[in-house]
Amino acid sequence: MLKRYQPTDQQPWDVHRVVHLHRRAGFAATWNEIQRDLKDGPDAAVSRLVQGRQPDEADASEPETFESMADVIGSAAVSSENINRLKAWWLYRMLFSPDPLEERLTLMWHNHFATSNIKVEDVAVMRRQNDIFRKYCRAPFGELLRRVVKDPAVLVWLDADANRKEHPNENLARELMELFSLGVGNYSEQDVKQVARALTGWTSKNGRFRYVPEYHDDGEKTIFGKTDHFDGDDVLTLMLEHPACARRLAWRICDTFFGEDVIDDASIDALADGLRQRHLDVGWGVETVLRSQIFFDDTNLGNRVLGPEEFLIGAVRVLEAFDPPPSTLLLAEWSAQLGRDLFYPPNVFGWPGGRNWITTRSVIGRANFADALLDGLLHQPQKTLPIQEVVSKRLGTASESDIVKFFCTHFPNCDPKRLQTELSGKNAAQIAKSMLVLPQAQLA
Amino acid sequence: MLNRRHFLKQSTLLALAPTVPSFLAQTANSAESRADDRVLVVIQLDGGNDGVNTVVPYSDQGYEKNRSELRLANDRLIKLNDDIALHPSLEDMHKLWESDRLAIVNGVGYPNPNRSHDVSMAIWQTCSFDRTEHNGYGWLGRALDSSSAPKTSSPSAVLVGDGKPPVALRSRRSIAANVDRIDELLLPGDVRRTEQHAAAAATEDLSAFVERSTLDAYNTADQLSKLGKPDQAATRSPRSELERRLQLVSQLIKADFQTRVFYTVQSGYDTHSVQLPRHERLLRDLSRSLFAFFEDLRAAKLDERVVVLCFSEFGRRVKENASIGTDHGTAGPVLLAGPSVAPGLHGEMPSLLDLENDDLKHTVDFRQVYASVLQQWLGLTDERIRSGGHQPLDLLRRA
Repeated sequence: MLKRYQPTDQQPWDVHRVVHLHRRAGFAATWNEIQRDLKDGPDAAVSRLVQGRQPDEADASEPETFESMADVIGSAAVSSENINRLKAWWLYRMLFSPDPLEERLTLMWHNHFATSNIKVEDVAVMRRQNDIFRKYCRAPFGELLRRVVKDPAVLVWLDADANRKEHPNENLARELMELFSLGVGNYSEQDVKQVARALTGWTSKNGRFRYVPEYHDDGEKTIFGKTDHFDGDDVLTLMLEHPACARRLAWRICDTFFGEDVIDDASIDALADGLRQRHLDVGWGVETVLRSQIFFDDTNLGNRVLGPEEFLIGAVRVLEAFDPPPSTLLLAEWSAQLGRDLFYPPNVFGWPGGRNWITTRSVIGRANFADALLDGLLHQPQKTLPIQEVVSKRLGTASESDIVKFFCTHFPNCDPKRLQTELSGKNAAQIAKSMLVLPQAQLA
Repeated sequence: MLNRRHFLKQSTLLALAPTVPSFLAQTANSAESRADDRVLVVIQLDGGNDGVNTVVPYSDQGYEKNRSELRLANDRLIKLNDDIALHPSLEDMHKLWESDRLAIVNGVGYPNPNRSHDVSMAIWQTCSFDRTEHNGYGWLGRALDSSSAPKTSSPSAVLVGDGKPPVALRSRRSIAANVDRIDELLLPGDVRRTEQHAAAAATEDLSAFVERSTLDAYNTADQLSKLGKPDQAATRSPRSELERRLQLVSQLIKADFQTRVFYTVQSGYDTHSVQLPRHERLLRDLSRSLFAFFEDLRAAKLDERVVVLCFSEFGRRVKENASIGTDHGTAGPVLLAGPSVAPGLHGEMPSLLDLENDDLKHTVDFRQVYASVLQQWLGLTDERIRSGGHQPLDLLRRA
């Protein structure tokens, strides 16, 4: 099993590791959160994240207040039938949720069950799927998988209605096996055909799951060598019991929380074994990873490209631009420009992530975002961000070199000495803009 | 002088070799064109273009019989031969014809034509007649999925314009994006790159990768901003939205954006009433924009890498209606432009007297056109078209 992290002289509990934890499990720590977790130590810091209580009088709301506010925004988005407002709702949640890990996991499931509104074309259905991801994000995987697959969003997206006894459509069957549960290489083309037959009859009507017995093929099917009159629920059970499912889940969790080339196959296998023994308990898997030595190992620091929301929300949180916050509708537009149009994954594989986040368009987009944010163009009414005020509140003073120091705390990959020289003579906003777009600041 | 290879050869970038992205350095060292340098630009003529009045079979007795108000005057037509002429507003298109840069495929359609805009457009974009697949994957998306080309920092397909990429570009694996304004690709004044460390290790570790990519992106932005300066003849102020979008495509190609397929839409072809003035405006815009696009690319010596394909979801009814317009029809011409096309007329012009349900009988299946473009131009395959046995035509020059 993954060894637990204990601070040592070589790998101490320091600013870098606190920042790292919040960058990977949330959307960046504020200055006060860094100081607090530095003092409280790794156990308390990770516990707060996995328990989903991240109260900080300065910037995070009380959970109850937050949830009721988020619900007002989400319901308004649904009744407006405007998907952009639903994107804004989610960004609001990422920015203010007292449980940022929940939003990270919701994003992970959105990528895993990559469903696009380009085909679903229903704001209410997209929101419901997102709420399922969120509510069951830490649950045993079966609870999530059954709800997501028997939900209109996936059924419309993967042509369930076209899957009929007389003419099976393999789309849902194939993606269920290849992407949702097992991974390629763990089933045969024959299995795909048989699973498609078992799933006939599952469809949706008026935004609800519907089973139509006349569409269902009740004949015998042979799947993974077992023969029976399998139906859709049976098929999901077969997937959940398949050893490859735990392996794929373990891979997905590691893919979400580790940087490049950190985790080896043996560790993924060990995590998969643990999941299998615990009914695929995702919450356990995530907590195990976040407490592990390998998660806090030097090799896992600063070796992951920030995704669009991590970059955007991270910038707002680092700059403590909470009151008032920037327009979440505009943040959603930027997120799309930087490569992740929420609710519109590019295809069934979701966003490839990692190095793919760095494209000509996104690199230039990040620079333009930093420019617009600091100039206050994302605020309504427009408002230049008071960088010196923020830095002076946290450091006591706000000289040019204090500002560089402030940012280098938030971006520990950067070299403060070099930057003090390179950024000398610039004003606060220029320093902030330059820091946010440094190549090293795209990694965490 | 504006393509990336050329730019790289002369610039100081190679002096910074350790921080140049590896694929960039490779292109700088090998200046010859590769198959995956080829670009396809698709212009979707939205609404159903009246093919009969675009590429006019003026000697067909059916033309006079079916068109009285909408018949184009014989002496104004731009005649290509004794039977076929271009609409009088296609003067610029005719210049492409005269210089062997235009291929016209006549009579393009498909069996059992559907006359609904949405359904017929979906058929053209997905090559599927099954309605349940009309929101699935498109012909270009599937073909791009078949490509084994190395990953680049650009999406494989780009919609130039507002909104989501059309279903034609959707695929299981490749990524399509949309770009509407050049500003999205220009750097703000306040954000300047900090000094790059030429001493950075030449390995492809992650931080070197991000540094290289950043440098590459900023160079692209610099190039685009040079291209965008009004004193450069390359960008005259556009006369229409279509021309603006094609200028954007041309700038992206000049900046060596590694995108294989650009897609844009010209709307307004649904001419049920008072067709003549509107149709004339649309065709003039198309013709001018296309000619300007190729002149622009030619000046940069990049035109041979680019082919444009213009299609519409259907042609219009042969007989005009009572509102001096035309209703939804069937087959129509597909246009291919660029110095790399096999110039001239292709396919058989359907007869205007021998109709089926008052509409033209198609003589070429649109999937044959796609097969030609995919195989002979992009070097790609769409399995659905291939397995359907649609024989390509010779629409491109042989290398």
